[in-house]
Amino acid sequence: MGTTCHIMPVAEGKSVQQTVELLTRKLEMLGAEKQGTFCVDCETYHTAASTLGSQGQAGKLMYVMHNSEYPLSCFALFENGPCLVADTNFDVLMVKLKGFFQSAKASKIETRGTRYQYCDFLVKVGTVTMGPSARGISVEVEYGPCVVASDCWSLLLEFLQSFLGSHTPGAPTVFGNRHDAVYSPADTMVQYMELFNKIRKQQQVPVAGIR
Amino acid sequence: MSGVRAVRISIESACEKQVQEVGLDGTETYLQPLSMSQNLARLAQRIDFSQGSGSEEEEAAGAEGDAQDWAGAGSSADQDDEEGLVKFQPSLWPWDSVRNNLRSALTEMCVLYDVLSIVRDKKFMTLDPVSQDALPPKQNPQTLQLISKKKSLAGAAQILLKGAERLTKSVTENQENKLQRDFNSELLRLRQHWKLRKVGDKILGDLSYRSAGSLFPHHGTFEVIKNTDIDLDKKIPEDYCPLDVQIPSDLEGSAYIRVSIQKQAPDIGDLGTVNLFKRPLPKSKPGSPHWQTKLEAAQNVLLCKEIFAQLSREAVQIKSQIPHIVVKNQIISQPFPSLQLSISLCHSSNDKKSPKSATEKQSPEDHLYVLEHNLHLLIREFHKQTLSSIMMPHPASAPFGHKRMRLSGPQAFDKNEINSIQSSEGLLEKIIKQAKHIFLRSRTAATIDSLASRIEDPQIQAHWSNINDVYESSVKVLITSQGYEQICKSIQLQLNIGVEQIRVVHRDGRVITLSHEGQELQDFLLSQMSQHQVHAVQQLAKVMGWQVLSFSNHVGLGPVESIGNASAITVASPNGDYAISVRNGPESGSKIMVQFPRNQCKDLPKSDVLQDSKWNHLRGPFREVQWNKMEGRNFVYKMELLMSALSPCLL
Repeated sequence: MGTTCHIMPVAEGKSVQQTVELLTRKLEMLGAEKQGTFCVDCETYHTAASTLGSQGQAGKLMYVMHNSEYPLSCFALFENGPCLVADTNFDVLMVKLKGFFQSAKASKIETRGTRYQYCDFLVKVGTVTMGPSARGISVEVEYGPCVVASDCWSLLLEFLQSFLGSHTPGAPTVFGNRHDAVYSPADTMVQYMELFNKIRKQQQVPVAGIR
Repeated sequence: MSGVRAVRISIESACEKQVQEVGLDGTETYLQPLSMSQNLARLAQRIDFSQGSGSEEEEAAGAEGDAQDWAGAGSSADQDDEEGLVKFQPSLWPWDSVRNNLRSALTEMCVLYDVLSIVRDKKFMTLDPVSQDALPPKQNPQTLQLISKKKSLAGAAQILLKGAERLTKSVTENQENKLQRDFNSELLRLRQHWKLRKVGDKILGDLSYRSAGSLFPHHGTFEVIKNTDIDLDKKIPEDYCPLDVQIPSDLEGSAYIRVSIQKQAPDIGDLGTVNLFKRPLPKSKPGSPHWQTKLEAAQNVLLCKEIFAQLSREAVQIKSQIPHIVVKNQIISQPFPSLQLSISLCHSSNDKKSPKSATEKQSPEDHLYVLEHNLHLLIREFHKQTLSSIMMPHPASAPFGHKRMRLSGPQAFDKNEINSIQSSEGLLEKIIKQAKHIFLRSRTAATIDSLASRIEDPQIQAHWSNINDVYESSVKVLITSQGYEQICKSIQLQLNIGVEQIRVVHRDGRVITLSHEGQELQDFLLSQMSQHQVHAVQQLAKVMGWQVLSFSNHVGLGPVESIGNASAITVASPNGDYAISVRNGPESGSKIMVQFPRNQCKDLPKSDVLQDSKWNHLRGPFREVQWNKMEGRNFVYKMELLMSALSPCLL
């Protein structure tokens, strides 16, 4: 459990595959050791029309996510709302709640890749895919020892600079609200959700552009 | 009073006639007094014959109209005559009632007289006394109490005797019935020990451990049948039982798990030989019926099968550096490189064919009872875990499993935390660890004991701790010299024997980890013993007043030792004339040299360097001492003698 930060680096003029390879090579040269694979996936549901009020307000979107780092948990979150951490039985519950939550079409998005351990840092480089097509890259860096975001943001930034070069991002919005609060896995999932939403908005593989 | 004349007093009755009336002119008309007869009649009418006086009964004689009845009647002189007149003149009106009363009195008196005369004969009528009241208190009260207590005790004893009689009767009946037990009472006894249920017209029982938490898929059902092959004409045998149990065929006989550790690896061809070492059946309690022993043996076979199934499943699934071999009824693994642990299920059925003792290569003494017992304990612990409240979910809708595992979802545990919750060790791993520890412990003990018996000087003592763990034991090893235990006690080692290593904590704070190799421990102890000798000299020097000039635990000079290092010490005598130098090594033994002052050595070359004769008092050359020719039973004793020989006597 530590503080994590996600970024979506996209190299200019290169495909997703090549960027991933570049990053992994850099990490291996740094001295990180490979420790298996990881997978984070997300499904979108929206509230069914029948439950909408007469005002006709737009249905809220709910995201159900899984993270292989927490294999026995299931995360459910709204856009700006609360994040629920539940057992894996939650998926079965969603089937039962088919009347209230309908899954949006072609909504499953996931990122898969390898995990690298570099002393106290855990780096996960993954390819974001939506269906059969690869849409982007996600890099997650976790600093294990610290659980307070504001304390270690500078350290994370420095580490990111060392192997990402110019692609390092600014502080995630999650950190902005509660600087001194203890970082929890739910915050990680919120960051992933934002990342996926951003990728979804970009229709094709971007040529240029940094988050 | 004398002297006073008597006065004549005259008395007359105031017989004044009653005034009847007083005339108008004052004349009084008097009532005429009653005449004699009139007076008598008046008085007779006033008699009440219903009231009898006490003197009436005494007069048993005829009822001649007692004159005493009229004792209160006035003083008339003609009384007797009047009595006679009364009896024989019934027409006298005022005397009629008197007459009747008298007649009835007569009748009653006659009756009484008749009754008494009959009773006196005692032939047709007797008098029975009415129950008397308590004796007058003049009699002795203690006798009375004694008699009453005796009576009450007799009554109570009577009741108790009746009850006892009833009880003895029922007991004798039971005794008789025991010999001829009937099916139902035997079934009742069976029910007290085993679970039975009725299926159709069969009675089935359950001898598996499923209700105790086992997950073994064996059904473990036995059937209860009536024993009808009894010939009533012949005498009923002593151990006849109307009930018989039929156990499943694969649970017949007796079984046990055999755990043994062997040093040498057997040939591959020997694997899989069925160990039919027939262990004598454990003696059943003398009073238990034969079905109890049968069922218990079958349950034991089932438990052994479950243990072996669990072990073999783990042996196949769990990856380890040296894979375990599972052949037929044997599991072979190698805890240490030159060691082999074999766990086998020995199941001997009760068939009449003789056990194959030819293939019995391992001797029965190899069997480690402790580990077999521990296997039983471990499987029972596993059973209990499945039933424990940690596993049982609250609320009932939650999934099965450890309580903290159920929280791992909602609290987003990562892999490290999940691994820490789950106990990852299986039965096989646990028993292998225990076997390793047992082996290490026994070998450590053997090493210490062999050293102690082989080497007399210095002496090695081992104090084993009573409280051990299955994975850890400890022993305190002291190296001392006989007779000098208080002085030379600087080598004390605490050995913590673990699963794979032995950790040695020295008295001076050093911690050394020895591996499972037996030679390491022996070499270490030998080196410590050699160091002890030198330490002993140091302590002895303190006591004797000698000065320690130099001391080194690991000298870099002299021949190289193969075990440890040699240690050396140099001590000088109190007046400085002599010095003793000792070098002791585990292999090379001890070498003692004494330094003499220059003026005591004859063969010193003269030189011009020394101008003054005072330099001749300094210590000069060394001479070796032939230690084996020294007097003394051990090293320190010899050293003490040497020191005292070199210290001059002041007298």
